[in-house]
Amino acid sequence: MPGATTERVLSEPQFAALVDALAADPERRKELVGLLREDHPHYRQRGAATIVRMRGWVLLAIARGEVADDALIFILEELDTGVDPYLVAAAARALRSVPRPTAALAPFVMRALGNIRYRDEPIAFENYGEYAVSPTGTSAVSELLVTLRWLGPHARGILPELEPLRAPNGGLPRKLRIDVERAVQAIRGPAPGDEHGTHSCCGTTSNGVKSISSWPSNSRRSTERIESITLQDHKGELITFKEFFQGQPSIVVFFYTRCDNPMKCSLTVAKLARVQKLLEAQGMVDRVHTAAITYDPAFDLPERLRIYGQDRGVRMDAGHRMLRVIEDNDVLRRHFELGVNFIESLVNRHRIEVYILDAEGRIAGSFERIHWDEGQVVTRAVEMLKEKECGSRIQA
Amino acid sequence: MAKKLKTAKRTAKKVSSRAAMSVATNVDKTAKQRVAAITSAPLAVVESDKDMQAMLAVLGNTDEPIAVRLAALQALQAASFSVVAFESGRGDYVATLRKVATDPDPELRQRVLGILMRDKDGFAQKKLLDGLKDPAKALVPPEKALQLLSYDVHTDAYEIARDIVKKPPNDDAKREALRLLAADAKAAPIFEKVLRDKKELRANRQIAAAALHSLDPGKLQQQARKILLDKSDYDDIKATSLVALQQFGDDEALGKDKALLKSVKGFSGGKTQAKYKQTARQFLSKYSP
Repeated sequence: MPGATTERVLSEPQFAALVDALAADPERRKELVGLLREDHPHYRQRGAATIVRMRGWVLLAIARGEVADDALIFILEELDTGVDPYLVAAAARALRSVPRPTAALAPFVMRALGNIRYRDEPIAFENYGEYAVSPTGTSAVSELLVTLRWLGPHARGILPELEPLRAPNGGLPRKLRIDVERAVQAIRGPAPGDEHGTHSCCGTTSNGVKSISSWPSNSRRSTERIESITLQDHKGELITFKEFFQGQPSIVVFFYTRCDNPMKCSLTVAKLARVQKLLEAQGMVDRVHTAAITYDPAFDLPERLRIYGQDRGVRMDAGHRMLRVIEDNDVLRRHFELGVNFIESLVNRHRIEVYILDAEGRIAGSFERIHWDEGQVVTRAVEMLKEKECGSRIQA
Repeated sequence: MAKKLKTAKRTAKKVSSRAAMSVATNVDKTAKQRVAAITSAPLAVVESDKDMQAMLAVLGNTDEPIAVRLAALQALQAASFSVVAFESGRGDYVATLRKVATDPDPELRQRVLGILMRDKDGFAQKKLLDGLKDPAKALVPPEKALQLLSYDVHTDAYEIARDIVKKPPNDDAKREALRLLAADAKAAPIFEKVLRDKKELRANRQIAAAALHSLDPGKLQQQARKILLDKSDYDDIKATSLVALQQFGDDEALGKDKALLKSVKGFSGGKTQAKYKQTARQFLSKYSP
């Protein structure tokens, strides 16, 4: 197994052995991050619970060494939007292997605490695929509190949210309230000398993690292969990719109606509605298209798309549509390099992803994995509008 | 005065809950008395950690009478809906449920696995799947395992459900396998086949119709028409087909479909059961010229 080409489907024990082998080999440790890509072949035809076990094991392996920047985004993603206690616990543990704790990390840990505290469960990390049947040991909340303690004074910014959890009626079990107290004491410790402040601009945390990408005009992927792809909208109308996405910039989100993580698809589509409102407020709603494209076109038929969008306040008209791909969904998926995988026709895991397309329908920017800011997305789309107008002026 | 009354009521309630819990955990009381005590104060477990732990201990103790354990489970499950109040005990609760999932008592096992599966618990899923792959490891009958696994559409059970449809251990298992597969758009051809197969159990054909309606309404319309043109098919299946066409079909096309209307007219008379005749007549009154 170690050193072997690993694109074939492995059993879970084989996958775990591969992860352990990569973790133990300093020359190959960096390959662990690749195993966290949702579209990795190892995750094909796996149920969501299996993927939790697999991804959790990878995160734990990453935690055993120093965490590089390219791994950090996956850890932060899990803390930001994860609702599975095993994965959140593994991510919390992995975060403690980041070489430099900074204040930018604290809000992620606190957010995870809010997301997971009412879903917490006992966790076992000793062996692959193990489930705790005893309340002793660790849990997601426990790991998060230990991570807050590790952050120490870098977590000062979240102290007002953390302190109430010390109270007897704060909800946490007594044994965890002790951990809260320890975290609070650590946070109140002497301030670090090399504070790096909060998030810097452009979706880069002060640890250097990027969740926002941009491509200059001369490096954007051609849409030749996807222009003729037919999509169907929430009213059942058919339109090609070229017809809808060329001629003006667009904002595209991906989702599916059967997503059971409220932090992902439901929130993404609700935020798209807010993006539309921002565009309206700026007088741009007729000059920038928006679209929500489903990962699950076989199930998300027009009526389902319409109701899903309607329930979340999405504006739906000629320039703003809920869409599904009729054919060649794989071609579209490859073009966008979507972070998604499937068991049969069902999505088993996906990331948050938002794309800004230029006036030619080419990908100009993306916001991935962690929560994106509606204002930033609109700003980026407006930049594409200006780019188009500059291009028109030059041609004239 | 009102405040004093409120405080007095609260105190009385607490005393009453404590008394109930005292009986519930008293092994010298009869099972009937203990069950009555538990059901009289179902939310006592969220009022004190001590009571929560006591109920968990009862649930996890195989020496306790099964009726008392089931009552404890019910009380804990009810209390778990108070998500905020239940927070401090949730970890212990999940651990106990997982422990009891392999309990010697089949009813307790089944109920606990059901609770865990509603939370999409990975431990429970793995146990149920292991039992389907190897009957020696089964904790519940296959039809129950499939039913519980279907609580999570993202489950790993699709492959095994297909195998069970092809080679079912019993009729109930096939039925539940079909229900589970109704979440998978790739299973539409299976449902078409089941719907058209007159040798298939009628309950399964009805499941197939419902599944096709969800996954591929166009295909259901096509098959519904074929069923209605088939004189030898069953009345209940024809009635389901009529409803599908009437509610979701293309009205203009249906109104012009002479062969279909003639067939439905035949269905509306003769030996057809009265309730199905009515369905047919409603269809005809809508679409006949």
